[in-house]
Amino acid sequence: MKHRPDRNVRRGERSFGKSVLLHATLVGASFIAVFPILWVLVISLRPGFAGSSEVHLFETSSLDNYRYVLTNTKFATWMANSLVVSFATTALSVFLSATAGYALSRFRFPGHRSLMWTFLVTQMFPVAILVVPLYNAMNALGLVNTHTSLILAYATVAVPFCTWMLKGYFDAIPIEIDEAGRVDGLTPIGTFWRLIFPLARPGLAVTAFYTFLQAWGEVAYATAFITSDEQKTLSAGLQAFVTQFKQEWGYLAAASILITVPAGVVFFFAQKHLVAGLTAGGTKG
Amino acid sequence: MQESVHVGRGGSRGTRYLVSSGLLFAGAALLAAGCHGSSGDGNAGEKKSADKKEAESVTITWWDTSDSTNEAPKFKDLISKFETKYPRIKVDYQNIPFDQARDKFKTAAQANTAPDVMRAEVAWTPEFASLRYLAPLDGTAAAEGIGDYLSAPLATNHYEGKLYGVPQVTDALALLYNKALLQKAGVAEPPATMDQLKQAALAVKAKAGADGLYLVPKGYFLLPFIYGAGGDLLHTDQKKISVNAPEAVKGLEVALDLIKSGAAAKPDLNSGYNQMQAGFKDGKVAMVINGPWSVADDFSGKAFADKNNLGIAPVPAGSTGKSGSPLGGHNYVAYAGSKNLDASYQFIQFMNSAENQAYLAKELGLLPTRSSTYKLPETAQNAVVSKFKSVIDKAVVRPTIPQGGQLLISLDQQYPRAVSGDKTPQAALDAVASDYKQFLKDWN
Amino acid sequence: MATAVAARTPARFRRTWDKYWYAWAMVLPVVAVLGVLIGYPLVRGIWLSFTDANEHNVAAVIGRLHLPDSYRFIGVRNYQSGLFGAGTRFWAVLGRTVVWTVSCTFFHYVLGLGLALLLNRPLRGRTVYRVLLILPWAVPAFISAFAWKLLMTRDNGILNYALSALGVSPLDWLGNDTLALISVIAVNVWLGVPFMMVAILGGLQSIPLELYEAAEVDGATPWQRFWHITVPGLRPVSATVILLGTIWSFNMFPVIFLMTGGGPGDATQILVTYAFSAAFEGVRDYAVSATYGVLILSMLVVYASIYRRALQSQGEGAW
Repeated sequence: MKHRPDRNVRRGERSFGKSVLLHATLVGASFIAVFPILWVLVISLRPGFAGSSEVHLFETSSLDNYRYVLTNTKFATWMANSLVVSFATTALSVFLSATAGYALSRFRFPGHRSLMWTFLVTQMFPVAILVVPLYNAMNALGLVNTHTSLILAYATVAVPFCTWMLKGYFDAIPIEIDEAGRVDGLTPIGTFWRLIFPLARPGLAVTAFYTFLQAWGEVAYATAFITSDEQKTLSAGLQAFVTQFKQEWGYLAAASILITVPAGVVFFFAQKHLVAGLTAGGTKG
Repeated sequence: MQESVHVGRGGSRGTRYLVSSGLLFAGAALLAAGCHGSSGDGNAGEKKSADKKEAESVTITWWDTSDSTNEAPKFKDLISKFETKYPRIKVDYQNIPFDQARDKFKTAAQANTAPDVMRAEVAWTPEFASLRYLAPLDGTAAAEGIGDYLSAPLATNHYEGKLYGVPQVTDALALLYNKALLQKAGVAEPPATMDQLKQAALAVKAKAGADGLYLVPKGYFLLPFIYGAGGDLLHTDQKKISVNAPEAVKGLEVALDLIKSGAAAKPDLNSGYNQMQAGFKDGKVAMVINGPWSVADDFSGKAFADKNNLGIAPVPAGSTGKSGSPLGGHNYVAYAGSKNLDASYQFIQFMNSAENQAYLAKELGLLPTRSSTYKLPETAQNAVVSKFKSVIDKAVVRPTIPQGGQLLISLDQQYPRAVSGDKTPQAALDAVASDYKQFLKDWN
Repeated sequence: MATAVAARTPARFRRTWDKYWYAWAMVLPVVAVLGVLIGYPLVRGIWLSFTDANEHNVAAVIGRLHLPDSYRFIGVRNYQSGLFGAGTRFWAVLGRTVVWTVSCTFFHYVLGLGLALLLNRPLRGRTVYRVLLILPWAVPAFISAFAWKLLMTRDNGILNYALSALGVSPLDWLGNDTLALISVIAVNVWLGVPFMMVAILGGLQSIPLELYEAAEVDGATPWQRFWHITVPGLRPVSATVILLGTIWSFNMFPVIFLMTGGGPGDATQILVTYAFSAAFEGVRDYAVSATYGVLILSMLVVYASIYRRALQSQGEGAW
């Protein structure tokens, strides 16, 4: 992987005033980025806080909400379900997009342009309207209330986007590598797996992360296709705290933090790939 | 940008390997997830057994829309009692959040995957029945003791001459008030008319330093004002849309006047209900119009740590002298496509027996629908339940047409317009009427 | 390949097949899954938009009762009443959707670009800033919507609390028509900037350093360097992210649905939420919601075509 050098946009050092301005802007932006999540954290630590009519800034905190969410609901089951669905979706989507993206990148086969268009168009139809026909399709396949239905549904949403992005990354990898592989006697598959795949790792990291997040936080299909508590993912399970007349803000907040943490962990590991990863895809469109 | 790569046929074997292994992998992943994930189709499942009456156990599914944190545990207690009494029937209890339940049921019902028993809100029952999703309960075990039910809740289950459900719980809006605040303001009795309501609220504002009243800017909470003025959303017998008739407009004007005069706090147009409850529980609002479901929530607030401080009275009467409050509640319904109708009927009969309704009343404050339950000593002594009973007796049944659930949607949109002054009361209700005309095409 | 097959198929097809069969095989799984799960509902949806299908007259299976389809073909009547019928709100909602999409995409891009430019400089704590600034992306959208809704509550939300502490009168963020639209746009921008920032940052890092150094030697001002090196260098990235970002914002459902439900009144209703309410609120009108779906799809397809043509005229785009 190429090392991207630090850039000095101007010769010499930045003036102190400009440094302050730079940092102030970034601090401000970071604050705006992070504050809502911090606020949810604050609410989660104070039972009864969000339902009160006053804003109390400083109060004793407790972990009661977390205790309730973890012990009185099937949180652990939901978490396991979410992990299974998200990782399976990621694996399936990355695999499908990588093979399709590679084919689109390397082989100008008839229909490749309409396929690219199709992938773009499938992202344009509003997902919310598709729920009932998709439910019936899943039912016809006997997949209602299974994880498979979610994995397939999420893959159909993720794959078009991922294929687009991965095609770009593969485009950036010179064709000489393929040819070198062929010269070495590798089959196209071998070339793909041994040579191209590792070079495209940053792009694959981006794709995987995007897909994981989509599957992790999706609500519409999760609530439509899953009917029993044991199969629910986290986002569907969380709706249990939104009852007919009131929302259990404390539990919602605690559960939200618990949901965000694994996503944050995955993110933390993937983020160093993100910056380099989106480059190559971007430059080739 | 790149040339096409032509690979000789020598590569095809390897490619085929990739393709087949790839497909195998994808298929295996799906299968694994499917096997792990599926635990039956979660509804109307029946263990394969001999087809005789003395078959092995059956499993029925019940979708419950009650509050999963506070109410579901008690329903589950009743279910274990049921399963003890009927060892051959297992109940798969699923708590479905209320906001999703109608959509989920309808999606599942058209695909033959609906649960055997459903807790359907009163407005949903005629709708489901019109779509042929419900099994008629006339003459079945579920309809046992039907004469015992209160007439208004029962009426929500009739559709085209048949009985499609039995009422589980009922509710109506009442005037809930903070006794201490009213006393502080010098208001001796809870207001009985809208005029008294205005005066009491203004007195609270002036003397007790709190808001007198909080009105939720949603259609459901406007209905008492409309009914009090002698109006209604629809006149079903005449097939007339009356939401923009003079009586209804007058009712809306009364509500708006309360807000403008400062008697009622300026409502939050986005989260009015939550704000009302927050203020009421903290003792910042003296009077609210709300239903029995909120009593448990109120008791958790600091203003009602002493439960006696919560007063319950009928909604104040309007200009016609009538106090009208919309009837709500939930019914037990059975899915027409259920494979276990007999078990479903028995389940409904058990859950809705007088003593079990009394249990729910005692534990959760839910209002029973059987008159015999109200006569049972522990229910009769339950102050909250008895006070609400007198409100229920005078409650107004909303139109039991299939489109009943849609009536409030337009009102929810237009009432805030009138509150914020964007539309005059007449204009707002005219807009509602023209929305009604869209789905009540042959009404006038 | 069996010679029998080779003897039967026309020679040109055989050559194409030989050349590309594995390519087709590689894309086959994707095409199959998409075909079944998206293609079929899409095509069926387009068909339904020319009928009067609703939940009363489409096929249903209720136990032993099998109800057949009984809807009728009515031609373009749904489109006529949706677009030109009396009392239709389509154009107002469309106008609002355009305002929403343009505002969101504009701020997504500008803020993303600005932050990327800032992060591209050497500075201490860059990694920390980067992680914090991408955090909104890691949070599921429905949680963000719920968090912002709490922040923006009129009477006891922390935002108004801070405003009154500063002596500014509180605002009705979600209850006032104009403010509500601004609020939901702000939340969507908050959600989408991280992705833009990272994409552009990657693009920035691929612009060769030498170009900047040469320009500096030639005496170019920072603005000139930005305009003549950075902007053209970013064009491919910008093209892709603006196209995708526009499509996403146009169809962004959860933010508005969860925060305001389209309200107050109609003030934050966009086409997707409008189509959803037509689909599910009353009698499920499959025909009308399909009509809106097709309209949304057509508009986006037209947009993408124009966009692609514009890209091609600038020498970009490989599709």
